[in-house]
Amino acid sequence: MKHLYKLTNIIHFKSTIGIAIFIFSLSLLFPVLIHAQNDRKVNFVGSARALLNSNNLTVTDSFPDSLTIKKRDGGYALIDLGVNIKPNKNTEILGMFRIRNEYGGFWGSGVAFDVRQLWVKGIFANSVRYQIGDINLKQTPFTLYNHHADQIDSMPLIFGIQQSIVNYDRFYMNNNTWRMQGANVDFGFSFSKIIKEINFSGLITRLNASNFTTIPDRLMSGYSIDLVQSKYFALGFNNNLVFDVKGTIPDSNMFNNMVNTINIKLKKEIGKDLASIAGEVGQSKYAYTQDTLAPTYKDYFIHAYAKYHLTKYNLELTAGYLNVGPDFRSIGAQSKDVNYNAAPSYFNRYGNDQALRPISLFDIVGNENIYNRTVSSVLAPTNQLFNNVLPNGIATYNRVGAYGKLDYKTKKNINIHAAYFNLAEIRGQGSLALKKFEMYKLNMSLPIHQLINSKKVLSIQLGTNIQKTNRKSAENIENIDLETIQYTAGIRWEIFKNFDFLAGTIKQVSKGNEFAPDRNTYSEIIYFQSNQYELSQQISALGIRYNFSPKSHLTVLLQENKYLDNKNTTADYSFNQFGIIYIISL
Amino acid sequence: MQKIYRVLLFIGLISFIGCRKENNVFDGPSINETYSTFKVIDPFKVSKNTVDFNAGESVYFSASFNKVVTWQIDIVGSTSKAHKIIEGSGKTINISNATWNGSTTIFPIFAAENCDAKLTIKDIADTFLVNVQITQAKKIEGLMIADFETGLNSSWTKFIQSGADMDFKVKTDSVAPQGLKYLNMAGTVNWDYLIGLIDYPALAYGTNPTFNLPSNPDDVYFNCLIYGVPNTNQSIVLFQFKEDENGDGTFNANTEDEYDLEVKVDWSGWKLVSIKYAEITTIVNGAPATPKGNGLHNPDKIGKISMLHLANPNDGFASTKIDYIIFTNSKPLEP
Repeated sequence: MKHLYKLTNIIHFKSTIGIAIFIFSLSLLFPVLIHAQNDRKVNFVGSARALLNSNNLTVTDSFPDSLTIKKRDGGYALIDLGVNIKPNKNTEILGMFRIRNEYGGFWGSGVAFDVRQLWVKGIFANSVRYQIGDINLKQTPFTLYNHHADQIDSMPLIFGIQQSIVNYDRFYMNNNTWRMQGANVDFGFSFSKIIKEINFSGLITRLNASNFTTIPDRLMSGYSIDLVQSKYFALGFNNNLVFDVKGTIPDSNMFNNMVNTINIKLKKEIGKDLASIAGEVGQSKYAYTQDTLAPTYKDYFIHAYAKYHLTKYNLELTAGYLNVGPDFRSIGAQSKDVNYNAAPSYFNRYGNDQALRPISLFDIVGNENIYNRTVSSVLAPTNQLFNNVLPNGIATYNRVGAYGKLDYKTKKNINIHAAYFNLAEIRGQGSLALKKFEMYKLNMSLPIHQLINSKKVLSIQLGTNIQKTNRKSAENIENIDLETIQYTAGIRWEIFKNFDFLAGTIKQVSKGNEFAPDRNTYSEIIYFQSNQYELSQQISALGIRYNFSPKSHLTVLLQENKYLDNKNTTADYSFNQFGIIYIISL
Repeated sequence: MQKIYRVLLFIGLISFIGCRKENNVFDGPSINETYSTFKVIDPFKVSKNTVDFNAGESVYFSASFNKVVTWQIDIVGSTSKAHKIIEGSGKTINISNATWNGSTTIFPIFAAENCDAKLTIKDIADTFLVNVQITQAKKIEGLMIADFETGLNSSWTKFIQSGADMDFKVKTDSVAPQGLKYLNMAGTVNWDYLIGLIDYPALAYGTNPTFNLPSNPDDVYFNCLIYGVPNTNQSIVLFQFKEDENGDGTFNANTEDEYDLEVKVDWSGWKLVSIKYAEITTIVNGAPATPKGNGLHNPDKIGKISMLHLANPNDGFASTKIDYIIFTNSKPLEP
């Protein structure tokens, strides 16, 4: 539960003049930022980003689309300004404001002024660490965890630059935390015999505020007790509770979702190799106190895996077993980072019927508007195209099966990651027949320059993710056969010193049929939408990047996004985007 | 090797603990039912072709389908045009969800007549028809105050203003919701709210000084059918229940309870008005007031019921109709 923050300046520019002005502005800002990073009691921290983009849309509909404006230029400029105060050696305070000005806004028009983050952290009694305000939190994968289930594992660098905007804006710190508001404490005890240490941590946060009439205050509390016997054995107990606060609305019907888990980890050195067994088991309850129409869900889960690291070959093998009950509910672990109910920001309506543009690969890669900053207060919808096997990560309910993983790294830094999941439902959905799921992943990064002993970087990323869903029933109408194949490829070529050529493509093809459940407020299924897919999505980009430093670079890119629906459920479209990205991380 | 066995044993144990099957249930509605083509498994039928509702008989309808549907049965009397609607959803229509005891949804009340029962299913074009013959109409238990089938009782007291277009008469026409007759109340009185009134004294029912009603006000329901005439000024029908608490044969407005039911006729067509006697309050000039007697609802002490037809004198002509004024026991009237 460490608090992390990163300063990122990202700038998209369209015109050369804009770039020049921007770089000049930054050159003025730089000294301030650099001088801010010393040991003074009061430090000024900050980051800036300006984004200008130019988009051209092409719609292929049964009738020519005469309603949608096909060309859109837009963007914004923003600056995050923070004051970091250390009133004493045990206390640190950060307040950060964001000033954002929409492209074209001037003298207050289109200007937003927000608090981006505000926290106090420190140590009291020389032993208890605390943080109050905005906090990045996680517990275990089944209690509180941001699984990023729909993310592309092998993201080509040119798209990774765009996703870094999402990660910065939504406080995704690459360690599966959720950004929340509240307080947490942690402390521990060390022992000289038998037990090495015992660590405690606790949290309390608010998921939503009361409107004093119908929506109660909804809080999340949790704690973990971790017993570390040695580097070979550790045991933990975790609790997470989401609950409504009685008295915050006139109605006395209150919601609660309790999850209790035990996690264990055993390690053993076998010669130079390392073997480990780990797992987590637990149970959940999801209920309303007085609503007689509301169901009460109680269920359990088991997740166990064995890992063997062959040091000689730098090869790691993992075999795991997963069994998550159909009624296992954990809001903290089953919230999704992507909000599939959100409207996409670019060309959100298109075609002659001005249909809502479905969330596509382009949005998943770099549209921060569809991403949730924090845990939702109810279970979030999933998307069958982006992850139908484990839409909530390994905390996905109604799954049983096994998986295997392989991680291999050569001395020349060739990285290979492969994974295979074979899962099934425990309880049928609209049918007694059960769905079977398979997922194959193979990702690879090839540092060609190391293979040919070149000093100029030439690296290639390749990846594929194949997901299959099948159901065979005595009733043909219940049969399901859906396959989604995702390919990724990317290249980084250092043409001159610090000057890279970047290119990448991601293609996703979905074909088959599935039934998507409509759920009521209690997460009960009330209807199944029959979906037929024959969908191809592809984003391709090329660009150049100049690296000012390992943490600072300027990228110019041209990107094409295609969406082809052969079932004609939605109109086909494509759009091209031009942008310039400037990133500074301090 | 032994260690590998231990690992496999551990995983096997976990798998065994986690082994569970839920083969007989599934989440959500059946996909097969939702998406398969609609089929009738058992045809639409009625349990008997003739029924004597007066003898307490009933009929039920039946059918079954291959999927859950939303269905509606419309029973229409061929003579009276009375209309009964039974609706539901599911895969079967049976005695539990489609029993008919002769009651009415849309007035008039069913008579002894032939009826057509039509089954319609949502999103299905086909309809299904059966026929049922009513040999005797439904018998309604209760203390009848007025059904106007024999005109106006001479023991009732009438007062009718001398306004314009006054029509305070029993009518015989197809509008009658029950039997053949009803009371029409219409006229223009531009100096007073009152258009006309009828007093129904207990004496007219042979039970002087009070009506023969149960003493428990929770067991007594007052019911009547009132007709709202479209496109006329709003009528108000006011019932005054005057309790002769001391049993002296007269009602003293200063020392005895009067409970009042004010009905603002703001609908078109016939409507059943039913209310538990215990829920009727005291009203003076349209405003809630405190009863002047013992303050207790004593239906067994009602000595007289006054029925007033009122309307705002500034509005002009007002018209309404009334029929089937009846007290029922324990439950509202189910015509």
